[in-house]
Amino acid sequence: MSRLKQLSRFKLTLSVVAVGLLMFPFINDSRTAMIMLTKIFIFAVFAMSYDLLLGYTGIVSFGHAMYFGIGAYTVALCLKAFGPTIPVVLLAALITIVFTAIVSFLVGLLTLRLKAHFFAMLTLAVAALFLVVAEKWRSLTAGNDGFTFAIPELFRDRLTFYIVALVFMILVYLFLERFTQSPMGRVLQAIRENEARVESLGYRVMHYKITANVIAGIVAGLAGILYAMSLRFVNTSVFATELTLDALLITIIGGVGTLFGAIVGAAVIEYARHTLMDLASVHWIFGRWVILLGTVFILVVMFFPKGIVGSTKHWWEKRQMKKAKVTTSDKNFHQDVS
Amino acid sequence: MEMFINITINGLATGMLIFLLAAGLTLIFGLMDVLNFAHGALFLWGAYAGIWTYTTSGSFIFGIIAAIVACCILGYLLERFIVKPVYGNHIQQILITLGAMLVLSELVKVVWGPNIIHARAPEWLRGSWEIGGIFLIKYRVFIIIVGLIVFAGLLFLLNRTKLGLVVRAGVMDKEMVQALGINIRKVFLFVFILGAGMAGLGGMLFGPYSGVIYAEIGLEYGILAFIVVVIGGMGSVLGSMIAALLVGILGSYAAYFLPEIALAVNFLLMIFILVFKPSGIMGMKEALK
Repeated sequence: MSRLKQLSRFKLTLSVVAVGLLMFPFINDSRTAMIMLTKIFIFAVFAMSYDLLLGYTGIVSFGHAMYFGIGAYTVALCLKAFGPTIPVVLLAALITIVFTAIVSFLVGLLTLRLKAHFFAMLTLAVAALFLVVAEKWRSLTAGNDGFTFAIPELFRDRLTFYIVALVFMILVYLFLERFTQSPMGRVLQAIRENEARVESLGYRVMHYKITANVIAGIVAGLAGILYAMSLRFVNTSVFATELTLDALLITIIGGVGTLFGAIVGAAVIEYARHTLMDLASVHWIFGRWVILLGTVFILVVMFFPKGIVGSTKHWWEKRQMKKAKVTTSDKNFHQDVS
Repeated sequence: MEMFINITINGLATGMLIFLLAAGLTLIFGLMDVLNFAHGALFLWGAYAGIWTYTTSGSFIFGIIAAIVACCILGYLLERFIVKPVYGNHIQQILITLGAMLVLSELVKVVWGPNIIHARAPEWLRGSWEIGGIFLIKYRVFIIIVGLIVFAGLLFLLNRTKLGLVVRAGVMDKEMVQALGINIRKVFLFVFILGAGMAGLGGMLFGPYSGVIYAEIGLEYGILAFIVVVIGGMGSVLGSMIAALLVGILGSYAAYFLPEIALAVNFLLMIFILVFKPSGIMGMKEALK
């Protein structure tokens, strides 16, 4: 009963935060803040899809940027070829879903039977192949220089785009939340905990892992679409390993295995990057953002392995447990006296 | 015909260089099962520390010693503070050593600046011999010889000495070795330092070979080392040697005939091998679950 209450309180807080974010642009008309928040929403979606693999299934992928890049290039090429209209964006979304599903299915089929670190290396290699193709196929992708494109009239307004990104993030969060709580999601978590046992219970582990890979790939592709549209520009950096590392960092900072953690992590990382870049003129260390990034990686693993959301949850549950214990021992005491 | 021989020799030299880089990782990743993504950073630090010492002191040998010493110290610090807390947990190893990799590569830019640094071979290793239309570039021959010495040394160490016996036994059953009164932690620390030192040597020799060094070679060649260890088979020094030579020779043929795909050749090779023989060329059946 109390767990239900607690859950609904959490959901209530979430709804308040969502409404607050929805109202934000009407209260504060800072353009930079709005653009930064849009970016946070997009990266939160990307990191949530990564968390489905890392946090819920226990798979470390180094090639997640591949799906993100596919989405980004699909929408960019479609808009460039067919003109900036809404149906073209929907078409691009459809193509992205189909294409990322096929690629993630094939990659999963080839690689998911390998041990964790071999899988990580292979995904890295496949993603590197995509990067090489994108670099070399200049007639299509314009290589590292990239190209700009026009986006539909409706999305040109930063405010509309902000709301689209926010709603998209909320939808993805709700969908993945549902998915991870479903029987299928439970099996994935069981695979993370003890793969051999799940297998011996008669589940076809590969089948579940591939499904998780496909869903994560599709969501990452959709995040790529929004990313390219927010920049109105695309180049081969969308395929770079650095992007996967970003998703990895966001996930572990926010808390592995908590979808909400991806959102918190994205906010923290983007905000930190934004402010630290501004501080570069104060001291050179802030310009060397990567040093801080790496240090954070190390410190989080050593002292903070559950991330922000995971640690908070842990602390909260412990507190609740203590409270519950105190009340029951009180009751016992009273009973003893009487 | 001469052309093929020249390309093959170039490939051999590149392969030996890759072997020097991957040999350390074969010990750290292949034998001790530590996913050390900071290995590329060790290579990078070896290159910068070695080339810097070499250009300021003028002595190539000094440079090599400096590179090895610097990387041994770094290796000690890495094992002691970064890797030790996460022995046995692969995901944490990936994350923490990735962090170390990022910090170390960026620190190189802080210490030596972000620009590329030029490196030349010493006087006595410049130029080439010509034998009947075949060009033997002295520096490449030098690398092939060093690679063979390191290869033989490693095989000797692992197969003929007591230390090698302890290492191989420790990999198989840590608790048992510990129960026999051997401090396996110390042995692992030693192996880690040895691997780091070899990465340093590889980095230093890489400088004059490519002519330039820059901060990005850490990640680039770190990944290449992983590819070689995976292709060769975990923990097999001979496998790493074969894989490194394969990568080197294939790479130099691709660069000549199909420059478009030269960049992708290593990855294609790894995908091909892992799909058809997941345990690698010389590996046992352990890549599969």
